[in-house]
Amino acid sequence: MADVKKHDTPMCDELKNGPWPSFVDDIEQKGLKGKQDCLDLLGQLELSYVHKETHWKHGGIVGVFGYGGGVIGRYSDVPEKFPSIAHFHTMRVNQPASKFYSSAYLRKVCEMWDHRGSGMTNFHGSTGDMILLGTTTDQLEPVFYDLTHQMSVDLGGSGSNLRTPACCIGKARCEWSCLDTQQICYDLTQTFQDELHRPAFPYKFKFKVSGCPNDCVAAIARSCCSIIGTWRDDIRIDQEAVKAYIGGEIAPNGGAFADRDWGAFDIQKEVIDLCPTGCMWMDGDELKIDNKECTRCMHCINVMPAALRPGTDVGATILNGAKAPILDGAQMSTLSIPFIRMEAPYDEFKDFVDKIWDWWMELGKNRERFGELMQRKSLQEFLRIAELDPIPQHVKEPRSNPYVFWSEDEVEGGWERDIKAFRARHAA
Amino acid sequence: MAMDKEELKNKIVEFATKKAKHKSKMYIKDLYKAAPEAKPRQIKNAANELVREGRLEFFSSGSTTMYGVPGFGKSEKDQFGELEE
Repeated sequence: MADVKKHDTPMCDELKNGPWPSFVDDIEQKGLKGKQDCLDLLGQLELSYVHKETHWKHGGIVGVFGYGGGVIGRYSDVPEKFPSIAHFHTMRVNQPASKFYSSAYLRKVCEMWDHRGSGMTNFHGSTGDMILLGTTTDQLEPVFYDLTHQMSVDLGGSGSNLRTPACCIGKARCEWSCLDTQQICYDLTQTFQDELHRPAFPYKFKFKVSGCPNDCVAAIARSCCSIIGTWRDDIRIDQEAVKAYIGGEIAPNGGAFADRDWGAFDIQKEVIDLCPTGCMWMDGDELKIDNKECTRCMHCINVMPAALRPGTDVGATILNGAKAPILDGAQMSTLSIPFIRMEAPYDEFKDFVDKIWDWWMELGKNRERFGELMQRKSLQEFLRIAELDPIPQHVKEPRSNPYVFWSEDEVEGGWERDIKAFRARHAA
Repeated sequence: MAMDKEELKNKIVEFATKKAKHKSKMYIKDLYKAAPEAKPRQIKNAANELVREGRLEFFSSGSTTMYGVPGFGKSEKDQFGELEE
């Protein structure tokens, strides 16, 4: 065994006894193979459990030359006890779109990180980046060089930057995808390189791209700008396949839930009655859909994928302003553009992004997320700066505010009045 | 009238250096005040160029990025000490 020192960690060890694989086991195994960083990490974690306080210091002046993001500085505040993790910086690596890797690449990354860092990784961070955990300041530039020159990958976003755009698996594996999510994700990453690597905004900004309304990257819940594939025409129906589902020849839900006997498939109970807008019905043995009432919930398509498919007139719905609950609670994205064509080079979409970024950069407060600005300044104001016409879908509820605010250009003659003419008619 | 880039950069450094005596790390928003007539994006681009030139430096709070003037406030060494070998 390599010359390493294991700390006494009774509370961490307790975590190994649960029913699930434990991170303590993983880290300890790595440590006993010769990585003192890993054992020191567990030692410091144990101390944090004892003190019920973290022993990490966060932030600082770390980074690679020319980049303001991608490295998150971490320092131990008890370096004398755990010297090998005195510096324990995290590096974010921009994942390939949809996270397609080759095993050769992963091996190379792991070898490099074993050599230059703690050997510990996190696949993947919430934003989607590959996370390399724990290295020292003097290794940052060499790691950056290796990543960019040997592996042709870049650092991801952190800090007040555009965060690494993320997308679902898209057309690569999924028949429902209405968008080439990987192309969009790659294009946005390339177009906004400066915003991704250098602080540009009052706070972080996220793009996430889902190919269909199933929204597998949870764009609607997690991104400042959610791009979700949709269609404008009718759901495609294969009536023969509908009959096959009803007759039990094709398993519903692609065969999921087959571990229990739920009885015969009941299209009325399992599909039609669950349609949120009630826009489906059986006409004899034919399934009918009133497509103009469909809200793209995807339930019927998910249950009967062989019979129902999204339409072919495809594009995206754009929503803005989701965030986690740091201020004012969590918030889902709000609909901005119900349908936009998403075809390279995405000029219409990028124009929209430019407008909303200009607004946020001018009016956003320090550490104010885009969704919080929308909430603070109102949806009307957001629509005005984004140059979008209000539509019924923007309305969440009947108005509760009795005042109507007009802007000057909406009022005949504007705000200017001839005071002399007024006074000629009215005594002061 | 569009401001000359060098002029804008000088204004930012002057403003940041003055401010750094009281508060050594500032947000990008704070730097907008250096030249209210310039657009936020111009200031962002100029400030990032200044970092590349070494006249400003980034400071990460961990979740937000701030700007500092080298020599003011805590440097990395002051804050965290030399790396032990």
